[in-house]
Amino acid sequence: MSSILYVFSQPPHGSINAQEGLDALLMGSAFTTCSVLFVGQGLMQLIEGQSTDELGTKNFSLGFGALKDYGVNRIACSKPDLVASGLNSDDFVIDVEPLDAAGMQLLIRDHDKVLNF
Amino acid sequence: MNFAIVVHGAPYSSEACLSALNFAKAVLASGHSINRVFFYHDGAYTANNLIAPPQDETPVGEQWQAFGIGNNIELIACIASCLRRGILDETEADRYEKSGSNIAPGFTISGLGQLIDASINADRVVTFGV
Amino acid sequence: MILHTINKLSALALCRDLISEGDKVVLLEDGVYLGLQPLPFATLAIRVDVEARGLSGRLTKQTESIEYSEFVDLCTRADKVCSWF
Repeated sequence: MSSILYVFSQPPHGSINAQEGLDALLMGSAFTTCSVLFVGQGLMQLIEGQSTDELGTKNFSLGFGALKDYGVNRIACSKPDLVASGLNSDDFVIDVEPLDAAGMQLLIRDHDKVLNF
Repeated sequence: MNFAIVVHGAPYSSEACLSALNFAKAVLASGHSINRVFFYHDGAYTANNLIAPPQDETPVGEQWQAFGIGNNIELIACIASCLRRGILDETEADRYEKSGSNIAPGFTISGLGQLIDASINADRVVTFGV
Repeated sequence: MILHTINKLSALALCRDLISEGDKVVLLEDGVYLGLQPLPFATLAIRVDVEARGLSGRLTKQTESIEYSEFVDLCTRADKVCSWF
């Protein structure tokens, strides 16, 4: 069965697209082998300590803790984008595997389909 | 070859909706097939039957309807995306006690599983994002 | 071969390091403006998007205009399609 790589490139809260991307990932992982790659502003979804009670958007970052339980295979991010963001892995709600360009290219090649969000 | 097409953009707010339609037409014209078109995020607005653009502008939604019905292709609008954005069929309008339904002909409201199913089973999946 | 699509200028930053030798890149929508600048790879720009923006004859030599039918053909020849937006 086709494996799917989800690529998340949108920041949270500015639009609902990132949240709907996570929904699609959780749904996909119920059906087939899935991995996720965070790139660009998508890394911002992972920042620990998001507090949205006053804003009124959903703090879906809490959902990332369930990815392993859902069987999501690899959880990776762009190392160059991580460095450029000024953040580091300690800032994130879950462990992510930083990949250089070659590693990301391999990850894309290793999956049958790519869904970008 | 069998294609799944994913549309993230609403008519007029984004060109994605129009690009996806042009692409879908070219897929069929090239002798390939489409297993499903899935409208996600603001793409769900494409299924709004109440859109009434000025006469000198392309009726993108109506063109999608004609494309889906004319070629017997499934146009699925994600239920979660639709409910958030006020796109309802009769069932959902009743369930949420809303004043009416507005799903366009040719479109079906269904779950996110349809995106996954289409992606897994298609030879190629192409996303038109915003 | 992986087919990448780019639909806006800012999406280039997401994918420029991920385009391997042998991959193809399609510019569509506002992404066709990338055809005005030198890029580290050759690109194919959707003709109707190019013409709509008045860019016919203004694109760099490494950008070739293509029809949607050629876009479809590229998809069939690619192992997968990756959309950057």
